[in-house]
Formats: sequence, C-alpha cells, structure tokens
Amino acid sequence: MSEQVVITGIGAICALGMSPAEILSAISAGHSALARVAGWSGAAAEALRAAPLDQLDPRRLVEDRKLHKRVRRTDLLGLYAAERAMAEARILESRAALDARLVEDFNDRTAVYSASGGSNYQTQYDFFSLMSEARGELKHFGQELSQVDPIWLLRELPNNVVCHVGIRHGFKGPNCCLVNHTSGGGCAISQALDALSDGEADRAVVVAHDTPVEPQTLLYFDALGLLTKSQPRPFDSRHDGIALGDGAAAMVLETRSSAERRGAQILGTILSVGFASEAAGLLAIRADGEGPARASEQALAAAGLDADDIGTVIAHGNGGPNSDDSEAAALVRIFGSRQPPTTSFKWACGHLLAAAGMIDTVLAVECLRHSELPGIATFEKPSDASATLRLSPAAQSLGNSTALILSRGFGSFNAAVIVNAPHARNC
Amino acid sequence: MNIPPRRVAITGIGMVTPLGNEAGSTWTSLIQGRSGIDTIRSFDASGFATSIGAEVKDFDAEQRIGDRKLLKLTTRSHRFALAAAAEALADAAVAPTPATSSRWGCISGSGMMGVAYSELLRTQRRFAPAGEFDVRAMFEAGSPAADPMEFCRSQANAGVALLSHRFNITGFCNSVNTACASGGQAVGAALKMIRRGRADYALAGGFDSMLNPLGLGSFCLLGALSTDNETPARASRPFDRTRNGFVLGEGAAFLVLEEMSLALRRGARIYAELAGDGNSLSSYRITDSHPSGDGPIQAMRAAMRDAGIEPGQVDYINAHGTSTQMNDRSECAAIRAVFGPDADRVNVSSTKSMMGHLIAAAGAVEAAVSALVIRHGAMPINANLEQDDPDCDLRFVRDRTLSEPVRAVLSNSFGFGGSNSCLALRKSE
Repeated sequence: MSEQVVITGIGAICALGMSPAEILSAISAGHSALARVAGWSGAAAEALRAAPLDQLDPRRLVEDRKLHKRVRRTDLLGLYAAERAMAEARILESRAALDARLVEDFNDRTAVYSASGGSNYQTQYDFFSLMSEARGELKHFGQELSQVDPIWLLRELPNNVVCHVGIRHGFKGPNCCLVNHTSGGGCAISQALDALSDGEADRAVVVAHDTPVEPQTLLYFDALGLLTKSQPRPFDSRHDGIALGDGAAAMVLETRSSAERRGAQILGTILSVGFASEAAGLLAIRADGEGPARASEQALAAAGLDADDIGTVIAHGNGGPNSDDSEAAALVRIFGSRQPPTTSFKWACGHLLAAAGMIDTVLAVECLRHSELPGIATFEKPSDASATLRLSPAAQSLGNSTALILSRGFGSFNAAVIVNAPHARNC
Repeated sequence: MNIPPRRVAITGIGMVTPLGNEAGSTWTSLIQGRSGIDTIRSFDASGFATSIGAEVKDFDAEQRIGDRKLLKLTTRSHRFALAAAAEALADAAVAPTPATSSRWGCISGSGMMGVAYSELLRTQRRFAPAGEFDVRAMFEAGSPAADPMEFCRSQANAGVALLSHRFNITGFCNSVNTACASGGQAVGAALKMIRRGRADYALAGGFDSMLNPLGLGSFCLLGALSTDNETPARASRPFDRTRNGFVLGEGAAFLVLEEMSLALRRGARIYAELAGDGNSLSSYRITDSHPSGDGPIQAMRAAMRDAGIEPGQVDYINAHGTSTQMNDRSECAAIRAVFGPDADRVNVSSTKSMMGHLIAAAGAVEAAVSALVIRHGAMPINANLEQDDPDCDLRFVRDRTLSEPVRAVLSNSFGFGGSNSCLALRKSE
C-alpha cells in the first residue's frame, strides 16, 4: 500500500498579501489587487489592469542581498513562498534535532519541485544597449559582449528556485523544475505525490512562481484578445477576459509516517492529481470541457471518490468566456444537478499563470481549515453555460472538507487536484 | 498479493543531431567516430570568443514535417522535436489512436524560452533604438510584434503543446527545464509515469537549440565554452588533461516508451528496457558539482537501486562528460565512489566528444544512444582523449568502437543548478 501524502506547511504571496491567511481575508473582504500599473504610460497602458509585485522591496522576500542580483524577481517570490511553507512545517527544526549521522539521510530524502513560468521577455532587454551599439553587426556584438552581466544566463535559468532551495538548505533528493504554464502547479504536485507515495523521498518542498506582469507579455495577451477591458468576472454573463498577476505559492508535502514521526502539524492531505490534454494546440481549447472533465474523473478515480464526495470546487475560473464556459460544461458533466459550492480567486489576485494552480491549492487548504469559501465579488448573473453552477458574489458554506481544484493552461493542458483538510478548531 | 511492478520498454527512437538528421545516420557517425563540430555557419559568430559549434546540418523542416501552417508556430528547436518525435513513432510502429490517446503521455526536456534573435532585434529597433527600453513607445504602438505568432513560439511549453497536438497525445504532458539535466529527467519522469499507471505509452525526450547570438553569447560570458576555434573537431575532449570547456550543440531526440507487456504482446522490437531512474540535487554551486562527486553519486546509486542492478552488471556508462575541468573530474570521482573496484572494468565514454553538448536535449539524445549501444553491442569512442588526466582514470573507450555484448548501461546528465539525472537501461530478456 502506498503512503498517504500530507501537507505540513503552506506559503503564498501575491499582490493581495504575503501569506495564505492575508490573501484569503482580502478576497473574503471583496478586495481586488487589479489596478492600472504605476509607471506604465502610453495609449494601450490606460486600459490594462494587472496585479504586479514589482514595487516590493526584495529584502522583504529574501534577506540575502547577494541573491537579489543573481536571480530574477520571480525566483525571489518562489523562494519567499518556499521559506514560509518550510517555516510553518518546521522541517529545519526537526532536522536540527536529529542525531548528526541522520542528517545526511534527511537531506537525501528531501525533494524539491518547482513549477516555473520560464523566462521573462524583459530580461532579454539587457542586450538592447549592446544591440543598439552593434547596429546589427554580429561581429561587433560578439566582440563587445562583456558589456553584459557575465552571469546573465544564470539569472535566466528557469530552475533557480530548485537550485537555491537546495543550496540554502542542503536538500539533495529527487527534484524537478517544470515549465508547463498554468497546469504546471498540478504537474509539480503530481510529481511530488508520486515520489513520496512510492517511497523515493520522505518530504518535498513544492513551489510555483511566475511574474507575467511585464509590458510585452501584457500586450501579446491583449493582441490575442485574452485580456478583460474592465475586470475579470469568472462565469458571469459579462465575462470578457482575464487579468494577470505576479505571485508564488508553496507547500511542504510529506509522507504521513514522516510527519507523524516528527510530530508535525498536519494541515491536510493530497488525495490525488489528474491530468488531461485536449491536444488542441497552444491556445485553442475544446468547447465541451472534455479536458477538465477527464482530469477530474481521473483524480476522483485515483482517490477512490465519487463526485458526491467533493464538497467544494476551486475553479480555474479565469474570466475568459471560452475558458469559463467550457469549464462550466466540465463541471456539469461531473456533478450534473448536484453542484458543490464553487468559487474562483482570479478576479482578485489576477491570473498568476504558472503559479495559479499552486496558489489555488494553497488557498483551498486555507478555506477548508477555516470553513470559509469566499464568493466572486465581480459575479452578478451567470453566463448561460454556468447557469447550474453554485456560484455567488457572497461567501458560501462549504459542503465538506474535500475540495477539487482545477487549473487549465496553454497547450490545452488541464490538471485536477483533490485535497482534504479538516477544520482547524483552534485557529 | 504482490503485483509485479510495471516495466517499460524502449520501442522507438528518433533523433536530429549534429551527427545526422535521423537516428540511423547519427548512430553511424558515432560508430565511425566522426565529429559534428565545425565553425558556426548559421550566423556570423566570428566576433565571439567561441565561433565553433555542433550545428544540425541541412535539415529540411518542410520535407520532414510537411505541415506548413504548423511550421509557422515553431522555432528551430521545435522543428527538431517534431521531426525526431515523428521518426520515433514511425520506428516503434505504434501511435496514439482515438482509443489509446488518453493512455499516451508526453514529457520533454525543453530549452529556455526566448524570442529568436531577429525578432529581438526588431523589438530593440522599435522600442530601444538608443539602447534604453522605452516602455511608453511600446504601449503607444499597442503591439510588441508585427507577427503575433512570435508570442506562441516563445511560450515555454510551446514544444510539448505542439507535440501533444500534432500526435494527438491526450494524457499527461509536461515540460522539464533543469538545464542540462532536462532530457534525462524527462525520460526518467516518463518511466515513473508509466510504472505508476498514469500512462501506458510515452513520447519522451528533449529538444534544444541555443546556437544563436544570445545563446552562444551567454555561454561565452560564463567562460564555459572551448575557444579552440582553429581545431573544431578536437575542441570537445572530455576527460583529456587539456580540456578547456564544452562545445555548444543543438538537436532533439525522442523515445517511444511502452509498458512492457503491451510491447511484448504486439511483438514490438525492443531496443532495451528502461529500467531505472535516479534523480538528485547537488546543492553545491550553480555551475559546478562537488569535486567529491556528491550529488551525481546519489543519482547513480538511485538509478541502479531503482533498476535492481549492481555495479558488476553495468558494462557501459554514457558519461555526462562535458569537457569542462570541473564536471569531468567530479563525474570520475562519482563513478569511482559508486563502482568501487568495478570502476576499472566498466567502459566509459562521452559522446559529447563528437556531437557537442545539446543542453536540454543532451540527456534524451544520450538515452537514445545508450539504447542503441545495448541493441547493437557497440560502444562509441570518447574522441580526442589523448593526454591522460590523473583525476580521470577510468576505462575509457578509446581509438575505436568497442564491440561487445552490453548487459546494462548508465546514462548521466548533470545540469546547471545542480539537478542530476542518471538513467539505467538493460538488455531486454
């Protein structure tokens, strides 16, 4: 029998706050972090709404100032979330209490997984000055390269969070950095779940991070007609697009026996992860929601659950009409007329892309532990496809302590995570 | 009741490499000991400290892939991926059907995202003519690029999205980005995926091309590349005392992995069993591994434990062997530590000596080469190893291809950032 995988720490950061509790209370209060971006001007900038974290002092994220120049902001966000999750899980304290000869084994059996957003466009702008000077002459470009930061490539590495969590703490177990757009969070949880339940490691730090709020990315999204002209209204009849946000989230996952052995606080359990591609290409998705439906069915089967066992759905709900309506079709296929209370957070945090699936999972745990399901404040009247979903602009009560979290990313890739987290009475 | 664990067969191989645009031609070049390294021809690299590379040559994307509409959505490395994947599926004589597509997964090691240099140059000319990026100008223009497909091509998971779409793979799809360990980790993750029952079949591999001004330039800045521009074929000399850096290459490789009983039932040709995956983190420095071999040691041990094999059963190691001072020394120390007395018996070579370092594709190409080593009972040479390094005192395959039956192989890949992958392959009974 494979081992149960429990959650012993969570961390999150986005423009709404620097902890899962802070973010959830902002959402519950109906706050949105989406606004015009300070410092951006020009016609197209007027209409754009986003939730960046570019003004945050990096020292609030990571104390080590040397690191500020060696990695990108997205990595600092990931490292921050990872440290917060580790602090809550108290794994370093547990290691410090070990007999010296057991420390090596502890490190070898600690895994690190990250879902990264990949590169940013603007880091490539570091070459602009040289390119301008070279006037298209590659020979000159090559000769004068030393104007550019010699460690440019290392700052750019998508796997910097895995690397620096490892270097800072000496973890040497299984690891992976994956870049799979919004389905990345689910993929990272899935890899960690399999590694832990198969006994390859005892615990895993699992992180997702992304900083999509930069001019070139926003303008591309806008050119493709993906951005909202007002605010994201998931599943609402007036939904007209998404808004982007920066952020990161992390969890410490652990085998139940490892957590119990060290007397760790158990916040919840990862029951399963399902994944389905619609094979529709990079941007297209199917209208019938086949992908999210199949991913969910797979997750239910893997967890040995029926649809009726799901008490809450944290939908992908990004506010894009095609995405929302096909997701609603998937929820109808899974739950029929017995829809569980459903919500989405992207109207408030923005869409964190590679970090979205992880922050939704972390916030789901927070919701379940506090028996609190915030509504979608921008929601008024459901779109036709969403008519049977249980959505509300106000808070709803939770069905039970099990939640299904859906994420959908470029590539027509869909991930479905099922978590269980009992109510925390003492909080 | 004990259910025997699911095993995984390699039943198809496709490659596009500096040594050949297919698996067959790549293998022939390796066996002949040819070099795929030369002066860079795809752009003017004469001003760079390094002006040599291992380029894919005469690759006709239209002929290999056909679909011109699809090609508009692809970068150079995506094209390598699509061609290698199609070759692997044809080679395996199995492909996703409507009935099986959800039981197929696709995991690929992918290179770093970025727009092509020519596209970046256009952006610079429009919005940073004097070098300073003018955010207002970009927002006034309202569009960053004349060609919106630029956005699609530059998405970090575009490659795996293209593969899923092109071949109708509707199960687990993922893109691994652990620098030079990507390809190995992707193949290892696919093994686990099938064993775990998440899929029955996988298209697993990697693709990359950093042979462009930014890619080459950023490695030159790090001082990681050999600067032996006058002697390209000799520049990559892993484990030689005079080695002075790696040679940047490009390409792709994909394997068709298949749950063993399904492969046996349909009478598939099995190159080898993909028997074990070892994966560790060095947690030492970003670009160096520990001189003791710490990190790679855990990966190799884990791969053998996972495969249920002992050092005495391994006949060949396809080394990471980049031809940098640090990597090669550390890798030799790791092999010594793991193999003990067997380190004097096991044959070792780095095929990067002939095809350069394919970065995110390297581990996948070398896994494919390892499967062919088992299939053909032939071990390619470690080219250019002339001056022995006392710190690299293993039994290297030198001078000529070694033809001997091979029972099991380890394939090492270690990445910037400290991710290590070791794959164990074994002859299928």
